[in-house]
Amino acid sequence: MSNFSNDVLTTLKILIIGESSVGKSSLLMRFIHDRFEDDLGLTIGVDFKTKTVVIDGNSVKLAIWDTAGQERFRTLTPSYYRDAQGAILVYDVSSRVSFVKLELWLNELEMYSNRKGIIMMIVGNKIDKDKREVSREEGIQFAKKYKSLFIETSAKTKDGVEYAFDELVQKIIETPALWENTRYRQTQQLTDDNITDNQSSCLC
Amino acid sequence: MEEDILNEIVSSEDLKKFEKKYHIELAAGNLQRQTRFNYAWCLVRSRYSADIRKGIILLQELCRTEDLSNESSKRDYLYYLALGNARIKEYTTALQYTRAFLQVEPGNQQVATLETLIKKKMETDGIKGIALAGGVALAVGGIVTLGFALAKGKSK
Ligand SMILES: Nc1nc2c(ncn2[C@@H]2O[C@H](COP(=O)(O)OP(=O)(O)O)[C@@H](O)[C@H]2O)c(=O)[nH]1
Ligand SMILES: [Mg+2]
Repeated sequence: MSNFSNDVLTTLKILIIGESSVGKSSLLMRFIHDRFEDDLGLTIGVDFKTKTVVIDGNSVKLAIWDTAGQERFRTLTPSYYRDAQGAILVYDVSSRVSFVKLELWLNELEMYSNRKGIIMMIVGNKIDKDKREVSREEGIQFAKKYKSLFIETSAKTKDGVEYAFDELVQKIIETPALWENTRYRQTQQLTDDNITDNQSSCLC
Repeated sequence: MEEDILNEIVSSEDLKKFEKKYHIELAAGNLQRQTRFNYAWCLVRSRYSADIRKGIILLQELCRTEDLSNESSKRDYLYYLALGNARIKEYTTALQYTRAFLQVEPGNQQVATLETLIKKKMETDGIKGIALAGGVALAVGGIVTLGFALAKGKSK
């Protein structure tokens, strides 16, 4: 293990969930690379990106998991949620359907997340669009009901994106019970790139 | 930092679960494509190269036998074939898959990222892939067909 990872306070697993095409991958792209593409393609299976941020002078490594949520990958849902400390739940302010469906995603999160008190950030994305089907007030009420953080964003113009991630991470760090005991295991899982030859995990 | 997607290891729990399902259905003569895919998806993310190779074979089979109209499945196969090959350091083959994919979907960031990663790995590992020219030629034949199938579906 390098000296660098020893300086990292902890590694956090953060999920991005919500209906297809609400802008999950675009938000992630904006946060990691500060870029926006008009069509970055439908996410295949599960993707994840990492970024190290500094919170109160401590380095925190974020492993952010993004999924397309297609049917064919649904069977792997439980492992997607496992051990996450935070979740960004995204809807599109120009699509009421995406807002209504957020409730299902919340239920799923509650069902599968195995960590008590996972921190949630509800994000109403695409506020740069003229069309709007969900008001800011509705978003706030919904977030209150689920005791979640809330922000409206635009991955296109950058509005609110940084805040969404920073605020979530800040809240997680303020809740040590979420991450204190997981330091070693997660770091190891992310940095161990030795693929072993001539062995198989199965006995066949 | 982004190399993490190549290092991510499937949980042994998942691998075992889908391996079991695969063998049960196989024994019953009732093997579902979805089961095959799930198992392959776990295998190519295994810690062991033998597993990854097994996953690649399963994905190739799925690819060969997939309904031409099923675009979304085919992009999944291509992506995980690229990922699996990259993980066992078959970089040249992996790049054939990413290129075939990007020909059809040039703007795909996930695949573009994977391609950049593979090239970076090739540099750090020294260009080991070249020695595998024979296998590559064979693989290319299959990929070209698949690329065309994808492109055809896209234009309609
Ligand atoms: N106008 C606008 N379009 C966006 C925004 N975020 C994403 N999009 C577009 O919405 C579409 C779906 O985005 P994507 O990130 O792939 O959605 P995902 O399926 O949730 O990952 C793409 O065409 C994006 O360019 C935004 O903030 N504003
Ligand atoms: Mg996406």
